[in-house]
Amino acid sequence: MAIHHTELETPPGREPLPESERPKLETLREQLQPLKDLPGSSIEALYAAQELFSYVPPEAITLIAEELRIPESQVFGVVTFYTMFSLEPQPPYVLRVCRDLSCHLAGAPKLIGALEKELGVPRGHTSPDGRFTVEVVSCLGLCDKQPALLVNLDQHGPVMPDDVPDLLGDLRNGAG
Amino acid sequence: MELVVTRNFGRPESWTLASYREAGGYEALERVLKEMTPEDVSDLIKDSNLTGRGGAFFPTGLKWEFVRKDPKTPRYVVVNADESEPGTYVNRLSLELDPHMTIEGMIIAAYASNAERGYFYIRGEYGLSHERVKAALREAYEAGYLGQGICGRDDFNLEVEFRRGAGAYIVGEETALFNSLEGKRGNPRFKPPFPTNFGVWGLPTAINNVETLAAAPAIVMNGAEWFKDLGIGDAAGTKMYCLSGNVVNPVCVELPLGVTAREVIMDHGGGVPEGRTFKGFKPGGASSAPLTPAEIDASLEPKSMAELGTIMGTGGVVVFDDTACMVDAAYRDALFFEDESCGFCIPCREGTPNLVQICERIMHGQGTMDDLDLLEELGASMMASFCGLGHFAHQPVRGAASRFRDEFEAHIRDHYCAAGTCFTANGNGRAG
Ligand SMILES: Cc1cc2nc3c(=O)[nH]c(=O)nc-3n(C[C@H](O)[C@H](O)[C@H](O)COP(=O)(O)O)c2cc1C
Ligand code: SF4
Ligand code: FES
Repeated sequence: MAIHHTELETPPGREPLPESERPKLETLREQLQPLKDLPGSSIEALYAAQELFSYVPPEAITLIAEELRIPESQVFGVVTFYTMFSLEPQPPYVLRVCRDLSCHLAGAPKLIGALEKELGVPRGHTSPDGRFTVEVVSCLGLCDKQPALLVNLDQHGPVMPDDVPDLLGDLRNGAG
Repeated sequence: MELVVTRNFGRPESWTLASYREAGGYEALERVLKEMTPEDVSDLIKDSNLTGRGGAFFPTGLKWEFVRKDPKTPRYVVVNADESEPGTYVNRLSLELDPHMTIEGMIIAAYASNAERGYFYIRGEYGLSHERVKAALREAYEAGYLGQGICGRDDFNLEVEFRRGAGAYIVGEETALFNSLEGKRGNPRFKPPFPTNFGVWGLPTAINNVETLAAAPAIVMNGAEWFKDLGIGDAAGTKMYCLSGNVVNPVCVELPLGVTAREVIMDHGGGVPEGRTFKGFKPGGASSAPLTPAEIDASLEPKSMAELGTIMGTGGVVVFDDTACMVDAAYRDALFFEDESCGFCIPCREGTPNLVQICERIMHGQGTMDDLDLLEELGASMMASFCGLGHFAHQPVRGAASRFRDEFEAHIRDHYCAAGTCFTANGNGRAG
């Protein structure tokens, strides 16, 4: 079945999905089929999109709205409500570092500084090699591992500034 | 001390059905289905004085009875595993190490509430928990503990759907969680009507915290009196307390509900690191106002904490030593609530950034004594917030400013920070 909505204009300020990525929309459509029987599953639908594209492109929002029969505005509202969804392409490794009280007392600011220095970019930016970004986030429920961070969904902690080169080295070598 | 909810944590592969069964798992469910009516179960839980471990400490048996008595169907049970309160990781340990105990509790809750559908909702960041709970739900279905005709009782069915969040503290608030389950933005809803009558999809819903549900099977096996007697004084049962901050052992321990903060912090946490001075603690997560060393013999249970003007909260005890600045600590909590405010109502949306700005002024030497009065006024206006987040967000800041008044005044009057983290070129680093 053709996905006619992808012919629509991209919302202002957002890049359309590159031509090479478009076939994945068909994959997404297939993955959305079982969710049609599970009312309220827009979060799962958005995870599916994000896993395919590394972010939620505008075309995926349209497609999810169409397949799950909910307003596009509602899907967009959900994407922007939750911090784990991104409207911009994400690098393969998203490092979420906790900035809340326990981790702060255990040295989170120095850890964040060390990560920024080692990657050569401030938080929220993608490293020059295109593989990493550091997000500073709320408590991860890993306070026993203070200061803690997630590499995608993998738990790490305590991570001291001195541990940063090894941690990133392992990820660069694909051992993470 | 007899352990209830953490008793299987040390077992090999404790998260599997095989291990859980070896430890007597699902015997409580079988007993319930053979020997008890739904009413018997909610009465037993009422008699045990089990109250909600999510922080509100509402009587659990009563909640199940309310749901059962509402004629609307289908009724729902929901596991609230959105744990996101800073300083709290107790549910994570249960989900990773013993998911079946919570699932068994959930099935017992469904029976007592006459519910036939359920959701198991886990915060988006708990990757290992997702895997373990999904696998455990699959095992429970295969073993006939979930699905149609549970344990051969063709009048008892329960279909459970696994769900994850995607990063939002507010979704732990029960009505916000319902909106999230319905595929909407996770803003809270107005109460009343309460979840027991108008929960997910507008239907009667028993929503409980992981730790609350995990306690149910043991109560069925050992009786209401046994559970009641585990607590200290009027408090019933046990609580998982977890430690973090300036403490030697950041560990989680299950102890009688109502132990003193001294026992938790000094005996189990090992106190503050050597050479440092104990300066204070937060009894239960970001929402709780901090207490001073003079209050270390207070009981960590809801009533004593309320008398001290703070809350028991989640049992996430955060410890401070002399390297911690209490203005900075208040600032961290303010930043958290500013970030996590859902923005739906004005007192909280505008109030949380105000709290941040007041702390920043004081930390940067621009604060005045009027700022301390402003804090009180702001707190009073935030009590008009729509949900609990706004009601609690100002408490840690106001609590710090009143309990640690000298420290706030020293910052304002003398531009002096005893911990040495403010007024320095790069200080502690202002980590967003
Ligand atoms: C802002 C806010 C966040 C909350 N977060 C959680 C949470 O993460 N987990 C939880 O079990 N309860 C949380 N609660 C409490 C729930 O609204 C609800 O009381 C609880 O899930 C009921 O279960 P219980 O009776 O077993 O505690 C939160 C409440 C508020 C106001
Ligand atoms: S109090 Fe805060 S979190 Fe609650 S509804 Fe208002 S803005 Fe949202
Ligand atoms: S405070 Fe950092 S993980 Fe909880």
